[in-house]
Amino acid sequence: MTDTRGSGDLRRRGFLRGAALGVGAVGAVAGGATALAGSTASAATPSAAPAGRGAGFHGSHQAGIVENVQLSTAFLSFDVTAADRRELTELLHTVTDRARFLTAGGTPAPLGITDSPSDSGTLGPRLPGDGLTVTAGVGASLFDRRFGLTDRRPLRLSRMPAFADDDLDEAWCHGDLSLQLSAPHPDTVLHALRDIARNTRGGMQARWRMDGFSSPPRPSGTPRNHLGFKDGTANPDVTDPAVADEVVWVGAGAEPAWTAGGSYQVVRLIRMLVEFWDRVSLTEQERMFGRSRDTGAPLDGSREFDVPKFAEDPTGDIIPLDSHIRLANPRTAKTDDSRLLRRAYNYDRGMDGNGNLDMGLIFVCYQQDLERQFAAVQRRLAGEPLVDYVSPFGGGYFYALPGVRDRADWLGRTLLA
Amino acid sequence: MSAEPDGIVPPFPPPPSGTRMTRRWQATAAVVAVAAAVTATVLVAGSGGGGEHAAAKAQAPADGLRHTAIDVSTGTCGQGWSRPRSGTQVFDLHNTSGAAAEVDLTDPRTGKVYGEVEGLAPGTTRPMTVRLGSGSYAFKCLQNDADAVTGPTVVVAGKQPQGPAAAPVDQHDLIPPTLAYQKWVGQRIAELAADTGRLKADIDRGDLAAARRDWLPAHLVYERMGAAYDTFGDADAAINGIAARTPGAVDDPHFTGFHRIEYGLWHGRSAASLRGPATALDGAVHDLLGGWPDQRMDPAAMGLRAHEIVEDTEQFELTARTDYGSGTSLATARANLDGTRAILDELRPLLEPRDAGIAKLDAALVRTQATLDALRHGGVWTSVDKLTHAQRQQVNADFGDLLEQLAPVAAIFEVRRTA
Ligand code: HEM
Repeated sequence: MTDTRGSGDLRRRGFLRGAALGVGAVGAVAGGATALAGSTASAATPSAAPAGRGAGFHGSHQAGIVENVQLSTAFLSFDVTAADRRELTELLHTVTDRARFLTAGGTPAPLGITDSPSDSGTLGPRLPGDGLTVTAGVGASLFDRRFGLTDRRPLRLSRMPAFADDDLDEAWCHGDLSLQLSAPHPDTVLHALRDIARNTRGGMQARWRMDGFSSPPRPSGTPRNHLGFKDGTANPDVTDPAVADEVVWVGAGAEPAWTAGGSYQVVRLIRMLVEFWDRVSLTEQERMFGRSRDTGAPLDGSREFDVPKFAEDPTGDIIPLDSHIRLANPRTAKTDDSRLLRRAYNYDRGMDGNGNLDMGLIFVCYQQDLERQFAAVQRRLAGEPLVDYVSPFGGGYFYALPGVRDRADWLGRTLLA
Repeated sequence: MSAEPDGIVPPFPPPPSGTRMTRRWQATAAVVAVAAAVTATVLVAGSGGGGEHAAAKAQAPADGLRHTAIDVSTGTCGQGWSRPRSGTQVFDLHNTSGAAAEVDLTDPRTGKVYGEVEGLAPGTTRPMTVRLGSGSYAFKCLQNDADAVTGPTVVVAGKQPQGPAAAPVDQHDLIPPTLAYQKWVGQRIAELAADTGRLKADIDRGDLAAARRDWLPAHLVYERMGAAYDTFGDADAAINGIAARTPGAVDDPHFTGFHRIEYGLWHGRSAASLRGPATALDGAVHDLLGGWPDQRMDPAAMGLRAHEIVEDTEQFELTARTDYGSGTSLATARANLDGTRAILDELRPLLEPRDAGIAKLDAALVRTQATLDALRHGGVWTSVDKLTHAQRQQVNADFGDLLEQLAPVAAIFEVRRTA
């Protein structure tokens, strides 16, 4: 009842494990018919649901894009090992089926004596859903000859180039598919990752993975990054559908029709030299960003959400001309169309060889146009004072697929069908 | 199926008793159990029987699923299921008898099992979660040291598709394939003995180039017998053991066998230093050969090994953990696939009617094999550390998928008591 095809014969065909699906949270007791009827209600445009409440899996856009960042995340890039287009299709069906079940929650399929259990059990016998979002994207390499998709590449999708201050490590870059799993709790994220990996082993293999988290308000407002600054304050208000359509979603236009409802996804893995940072004066730190560390307010304001008035400070006496916020968004008519939606997470992965903490930022942003938005902002930031304290070493360009509209739909249908 | 009325028909007569073989935990605390059973019986009497059980009623199920309380004892096996429904549901099995029991939910006409709970201690309640379609069902209660009892048959009406089920495999079913496999292994040991003899002769006459050439075929013969290592006992460690990661562990005199010789052959050690290990290896293999006719393989291990061979491949070969210099981990992986096929060939007649995914399993084997074969060029295997990124990902994908396809085999061949 929870998959897009007859679940009974999943393991008979194809090449993936295709574990039977469980009983969804809706109508578990009452049976399949009720669950099916119930599902139609959840379709619609996703609203900017607060973290933890769940965005709903079905909609014209994927969840996990306009919603607030959650406390826990895993970002992965995969190489597709499926042999051909048919197998790629099966892979995306399977990812959809698992994501639909995992985000809704419910009882994992009992398999009796015919198999090992269908679920790892790390979330207990009944999956809570728990606000999990699963966001999938495709990289430029998927549009090579392997799957006959050369003529379907989103117009602006390319392999992420190296920017001025980058120090890219190939092993941490690019990939055929991206997958971001986010939830209020790490056990939910890790369970989802384990489940999806188990059901897709033959079809895709992780290329790189970075786990991240965001923090609760300290003490209020937007979560802070490892440099101690609130990160995400000046995002465009995508709860306004008009703004989201202007900044995030790819709609009509020159793009291939299948892309409608998707968005260009950029992920940048950026190491932060936190020990070095800790030895920098507060004034210098604040002038690098152009904001107060403690309140998050622009240096010409007093509250976090005060709007900086660059025009009144043409020589940068208060907010330096080369500060991060001023370069990233000069707030002029000319630069207005380069605004983008940022969803950054912090990462922490142990120690470095020189005894330093290996920490940084999983910078994720969404936009309609890679060049007009991300690349333009990134180029403006070239050589900013902050570059001495951070080092982008990985990431990639992806296209976040259009949403899964209903129970019959699947991730990538418009691309592959 | 839908033609049958809802309801209950009288229990089947108890089938003859059989012996129990299991790798899993069994309840053994018989003395403690009696006291608990007394309490339990009282509770059952109080509940009036037949309907939803008092204990189960007390707490509303947090899982959102339909719960039905079921009695487990010789006299009341399966009682309590009065309103049969299809779908995913939980039976709360309550052992009211004085002995531990296994409980199976079966289709009494086909013998297929839909769910099982093993080692249900007296006085305890444990859940059995199953997905049921339309059909006829009966609980089967198998108490330790007693004949199996089948409870009333319950019919779920309608046209709902059936849930996952398989006919159980018992000890008896597994004897012919085990004997056949054992015979096959005997032939391999003979082949191995000839090969280790050749390797020993190479080293004895100081021809290390020949030894390096003859080492791999000998090792691969051994690696094809993966399901028998248990039966080999200590000989397995002597023939194919590995050294700890501790510095200097390769010089430990307890490190013997193929990998000890491999280490020497590919690290410039003298022929003289390898004569001892080569003689010991050949001796151990000949001892194995001589003793094999008296060995009895454990039928219960057959299904387990079918997936464990490849689990080991993934853990030890694909990580190159067992590579002591020859760079032949992928050749070993390939031999392990042969070994998996050998055991699956014997199990196939039993597996075919039980595993709906057998075609995918076969396809996964073919695919994995083709991936490995493409990594051998002019008789030389690519070593694991020389795989390109794309090759590595393909190997990981194929083995990962194969392992998932093999998991049902182990589950299906868990030896079950049927009578
Ligand atoms: C480690 C690297 C980075 C750090 C620590 C960082 C930190 C910050 C902070 C603290 C702010 C101010 C608060 C806010 O509005 O969120 C900010 C704003 C911003 N950052 Fe970054 N950022 C980083 C990298 C980037 C990158 C790679 C881009 C895009 C190419 C970017 C684009 C922006 C934009 C567009 C703003 C908002 C400016 C505004 O509208 O006022 N940042 N960043």
